[in-house]
Amino acid sequence: MDRIECQWCKAQNEPERTSCSTCGAPLDKKNLVSDSGWTEAPRLRDMTEFRFSNSTCQIEGEIVPVAELALAQGDSVFFEHHVMLWKEPGVPLSAMNTGGGARRMIGGMPHILSIAHGPGRIALSKDATGEVVVLPIHPSHEIDVREHAFLAGTHSLNYSFVRIKGLVNVLHGGSGMYMDRFVTGGEQGLLLLHGYGNVFQKTLQQGEKILVEPGGFLYKDSSVQMNTVQQSFKTGMMGHHNMYLAEMVGPGRVGVQSMYVHHGSE
Amino acid sequence: MSATTYTCPYCRIVSDATGTTCPHCGAPTDVRARVTKSGWAEQPPIRDMARIQFNRSTCQISGKYVPVAEMRLDQEDSVYFSHHVLLHSEPSVRLDMMKMAGGWNRMLAGMPLLMMTAAGPGHIAISADHPGETLAVPLPANHAVDVVEHRFLVATGNVGYHWENSGIWFATRNGDDQEYHYPLGQTMDRFSAQGGPGLLLLHAPGNTFIRDLRQGEQILVQPSGLIWKDRSVRMHLHFEYPRGNYWFSSARWQAKSVWLVLQGPGRVAIQSVFEPPEMAGGIVNSSGATTQYW
Repeated sequence: MDRIECQWCKAQNEPERTSCSTCGAPLDKKNLVSDSGWTEAPRLRDMTEFRFSNSTCQIEGEIVPVAELALAQGDSVFFEHHVMLWKEPGVPLSAMNTGGGARRMIGGMPHILSIAHGPGRIALSKDATGEVVVLPIHPSHEIDVREHAFLAGTHSLNYSFVRIKGLVNVLHGGSGMYMDRFVTGGEQGLLLLHGYGNVFQKTLQQGEKILVEPGGFLYKDSSVQMNTVQQSFKTGMMGHHNMYLAEMVGPGRVGVQSMYVHHGSE
Repeated sequence: MSATTYTCPYCRIVSDATGTTCPHCGAPTDVRARVTKSGWAEQPPIRDMARIQFNRSTCQISGKYVPVAEMRLDQEDSVYFSHHVLLHSEPSVRLDMMKMAGGWNRMLAGMPLLMMTAAGPGHIAISADHPGETLAVPLPANHAVDVVEHRFLVATGNVGYHWENSGIWFATRNGDDQEYHYPLGQTMDRFSAQGGPGLLLLHAPGNTFIRDLRQGEQILVQPSGLIWKDRSVRMHLHFEYPRGNYWFSSARWQAKSVWLVLQGPGRVAIQSVFEPPEMAGGIVNSSGATTQYW
């Protein structure tokens, strides 16, 4: 019998499944795509379960969702420590030194990420309304994420952070000084993000451009270039108004969230 | 509904009966209207990815929690909106500022100083950036509606925009302090379709209910619950004082309710999220109001 391809992450699934075993997206619903090509991130059903390595993740709740992870021996996840909702007493925790301490402090980023090791269960919540976006990351792939937007990453992901280049981009880009970068080696990884409101993704072709409200930016493939562009408007005989937008240039995926802090106008 | 036409119970516009959503306001056509016994019709949320037609362009509503209005603008069409609601835009869309009169007064009233216009061709997306529902209010030619401030999301280029003092206020005295209250806000937005039908999109937190008021019919609503009304609907304040003497019925803690009276004829829309007016002290002055002592 034919296997079912997940429209969100392209993983193959057994025909009897109603949700993707890799990302949890419903398999019995069509992807919702707007006329201009933005795909709505799949709204995960309450209690949806999916796998990574030998472990499972279950998403609970729909308004302020919780990711409950059942970690197998040898598996681990990392996260910012304040997202931990509960854990079983026997789950060991360790710290990941992210490096760049002073620079991260200036950028408002946490110095240390927590790592939870299996076996055992742990639950993470971003403590804010929105949706969990599940991104399986294929081997040798890089993805950049807005700071503080990541909920958890699996042990097969390498974590680093990249400085946003250009003073204009830092001051008016609305994404802070740094972006989190997640890179996979030879094994597939799983990244859980938290998006405020609803999340939409668009795949840009080589050289294709889109202008995005800087506060709405959530993630992008590292192949997508992000520049802050200034739009200047006359508001009278003498006055003018500047507005800053993030220009995304393909190729690659771009994710935006519909609830954000407005940035970039003066 | 006849075999070939459908009259939407929400926007009252006739269309063919082929789709599952009204092409003018996005309301689903395949669900039974939900009307309370007192006559309030629940405005059904616009379905994810439903399309609304306006002029030569379309608007598609996506997302359920914090919905996004994505517009495919034709070369000949344009829309305007407050600049902070812009989520994304194709580079081909021409963005510009809209001239606004009365900037100082708008700033005092807490209204956005800048409106932006977007002209096709291309796609542009607007988000109110708050949980709630997007309401589509198609305006027949030469029809006007009054909208409570901060509910406006986007309007088509042929919809005229003015703002006026709401004319709804009261003053309280607490000791030597006198404070003025504007339960509807200091101003209201007025939108009118000019030269042809137009489309107005609003954002409402919570759920939305609409009703038709007959000539002279009155209803009392929480002032901050109002979203929009037909221009023909008149309004004034109504103060109610409960019967009995309580410790909080002193001049300082005067027990009272402040209502907004809506009087027909015309349509009104309210939202289920509201904030009762804050008021310590007795009411000493107000715009035109009625009073009831129980």
